[in-house]
Amino acid sequence: MIEAVLFWGLAAAAVASALGVVALQNPVGSVMALLAAMLATAGLYALMGAVVVALFQLIVYIGAVLVLFLFVVMLLDLKASAAPARAAASGAAGVGITAAAGWAAWVAASHAPPAGSPRPAPGVFELAFDLFGRHLLVFELTSVLLLAAAVGAIFISRTGKRRSS
Amino acid sequence: MSLEHVVGLGIVLFAVGAAGFFIRSNALVLLLCVELMLNAVNLILVGFSRYLHGTEGQVFVFMIMTVAAAEAAVGLAILVALYRLLRTLDMSRINLLKG
Repeated sequence: MIEAVLFWGLAAAAVASALGVVALQNPVGSVMALLAAMLATAGLYALMGAVVVALFQLIVYIGAVLVLFLFVVMLLDLKASAAPARAAASGAAGVGITAAAGWAAWVAASHAPPAGSPRPAPGVFELAFDLFGRHLLVFELTSVLLLAAAVGAIFISRTGKRRSS
Repeated sequence: MSLEHVVGLGIVLFAVGAAGFFIRSNALVLLLCVELMLNAVNLILVGFSRYLHGTEGQVFVFMIMTVAAAEAAVGLAILVALYRLLRTLDMSRINLLKG
């Protein structure tokens, strides 16, 4: 009962703030709405027993990625965009793409074996065992990806003045 | 709260993000919409991990979070470079590749 109340409350908060990301004209407002959506999603993760994922959501997404977005908004001094929104018909294209992808997810969900006796969600131990055991190579390769992204970001955003000297 | 509920919520969030990606004209909001879509997919993966009692879904979520962080870093660097070049982030005025 309490689980259902929490789920529907967090789901409503997530959808409302997601709509805020799209609807708010000020970029700072959009970032703040995305922050609310991330918080609601972190609550949903914790509700589903994925506590580690919820903590990573708080630390990585809200603590790093969204702060980076806020830095760029402040840095570029973006005004509330007076530019008219693009045609709403193209938004229908987005919904159409989602319908195709969502149909696949729905089929996968309906083919899932029915939930039997309620077992506990995989805990921190199982997750760590899997991540540093079977998926160790992938885990290590993500560090290469992060290094490449960091070097690439520095390379792209540097000014061209130093190159001429 | 069943698997269908979680998948349905993920689909709705993804639809909002995808529609926003096509509607909005601010390049920074476009990146925010991409993050929103990644978040929706993460939610569905955690839902499957919960109801199929596997850890793979959560491992996938870690990888997606890493890719999202890298994507945000590179994407924002591109935005800063674009803003230096064009003094705007309006997608209708970024048409350097138009023949």
